[in-house]
Amino acid sequence: MNDTSPGPRRGRCLAALMSLMCFALAAPLIALDAAAGSAPLSPPAHPDNRACLRCHAMVTLAYRDGDTGKLVDLFIDPRGLAESVHGQLTCVKCHAQDYRYYPHPPTATSEQLACVGCHTQDPARSDYPFQAIAAQYAKSVHANSDDPQAQGFGCYSCHDPHGFRVSTVGKPLAEIVQDDNRVCLSCHEQVRDPLSDLHRWLPNREAHWMAVRCVECHTPPAVGADETQRVSHRILPAKESNLTCVNCHSGNQRLLGRLYAYRSREDLARDGLFAKAVFNEAYVVGLSRSPLIDALGLVVIGLTALGLMAHGVGRYRAHQRSRERQP
Amino acid sequence: MSALYLYPRWLRLWHWLSALLFLVLIVSGASMHYAGTPWLLSFKQAVPIHNAAGIALTLGWIGFVVGNLMTANGRHYRVQWRGLAGRLSAQARYYGYGIFHGAPHPFAVTAAMKFNVLQQLSYLGVMYLLMPLLILSGWAFLFAAYLPETLFGIGAVWIVAMTHLTVAYGLVLFLMVHVYIITTGETPLTNPRAMLTGWHRETEAPAHR
Repeated sequence: MNDTSPGPRRGRCLAALMSLMCFALAAPLIALDAAAGSAPLSPPAHPDNRACLRCHAMVTLAYRDGDTGKLVDLFIDPRGLAESVHGQLTCVKCHAQDYRYYPHPPTATSEQLACVGCHTQDPARSDYPFQAIAAQYAKSVHANSDDPQAQGFGCYSCHDPHGFRVSTVGKPLAEIVQDDNRVCLSCHEQVRDPLSDLHRWLPNREAHWMAVRCVECHTPPAVGADETQRVSHRILPAKESNLTCVNCHSGNQRLLGRLYAYRSREDLARDGLFAKAVFNEAYVVGLSRSPLIDALGLVVIGLTALGLMAHGVGRYRAHQRSRERQP
Repeated sequence: MSALYLYPRWLRLWHWLSALLFLVLIVSGASMHYAGTPWLLSFKQAVPIHNAAGIALTLGWIGFVVGNLMTANGRHYRVQWRGLAGRLSAQARYYGYGIFHGAPHPFAVTAAMKFNVLQQLSYLGVMYLLMPLLILSGWAFLFAAYLPETLFGIGAVWIVAMTHLTVAYGLVLFLMVHVYIITTGETPLTNPRAMLTGWHRETEAPAHR
């Protein structure tokens, strides 16, 4: 027997310690029984998330809502939360402080969560103008629809606060597109039904779905003060969405421009300023194509070449004539 | 026989370097713009070549501007407004008619002014209008991440792209006309030789032409 293995004496100590711990854990429950009805009775949980996740990390944690009869999922994926933009926050930073008590008192469960409470206009982050976003959202079909399914729609209907991640530069484009569209499709699943008539007008429908975000066509182009933003939060109803191919495919190619700008940021982040200047990988084939300018340019160049040749021939003949005249 | 030293060494160096860069940029630019055309460079080859040549052209242009500010060469780019219209029409008439009929050249090259008025105006337009536009739009392409998404309600990158494209076509036209017109000196090689040696030599005294 070596020194590190527990002896019988040490084993007894451990057993005593375990029973003490069991008692400590059970104590609140015993207390709960003793004073039933006068919640909250548990000591406030430590403000880190471990106490919350002890229950909420259980995949099966849910209850059936008495009014609607629907199952309400209370599971929070701890890894998704940790990797999300809110991963550094404690649960009670957003949720009511009273959630620290168990059972959760009614004062906690009746809370109204508002993202803009924390996400106010931050002058340092001009890329996230939350006031403008709120104004755009107010005009969105999600905010104005009569559909019963759109009732209670809010930021977190799309942006899961427990798993939301910002598309970071460097992430493959296809992945960004799929991640973004998954948000839309989590409600609008009928859109991708192969038998559905929706989007039937769209040529190469599947190719569009793989390569383009829903919001590229279902939001209006950014104008004026909204220009700092990549995509508007004003989701358009189907009828008002972009149905014009040339909006993206030629003319003022706003989608191509947006793609170029993204790839440009990607280059800068990866290669730095100087390498970027030479090995610019952002250039999108076709970005500079304009059928009108190309046709005009080539025609004018062709005519000029013909004109110059004719001029040259004329000069040569004049030169020959003048030599003939001179003895 | 007259001889004028009109093209100092720095100017000749800049000129021929620009000429080379123009050719490289046209070929590599066309390869990017018309990517997939068989007899052009591959897109992957063309991009770094075009970017590097564009950076060199920018440096060359800055050198040209600084050179004209610091040396006497800048005097050739000062427009003489008096009698401009008359000189313009005389020059245009010469190229369009007189040149075929043995008419004397309406402009005499002097140490004070080496360009005829059409030449001067086209060089001014190219060097101080088209080239800055080309260079700015080229750099805007490289650093599009710092552009706003739209300008005047139109995609900013698209404006940059169309500017670059239009100016590029304009400069291809300039190059063609320039290479041709430069052969209309006393002999076809009078002007190209001057840009090689620095010396503008004519067999007859300018006053007699």
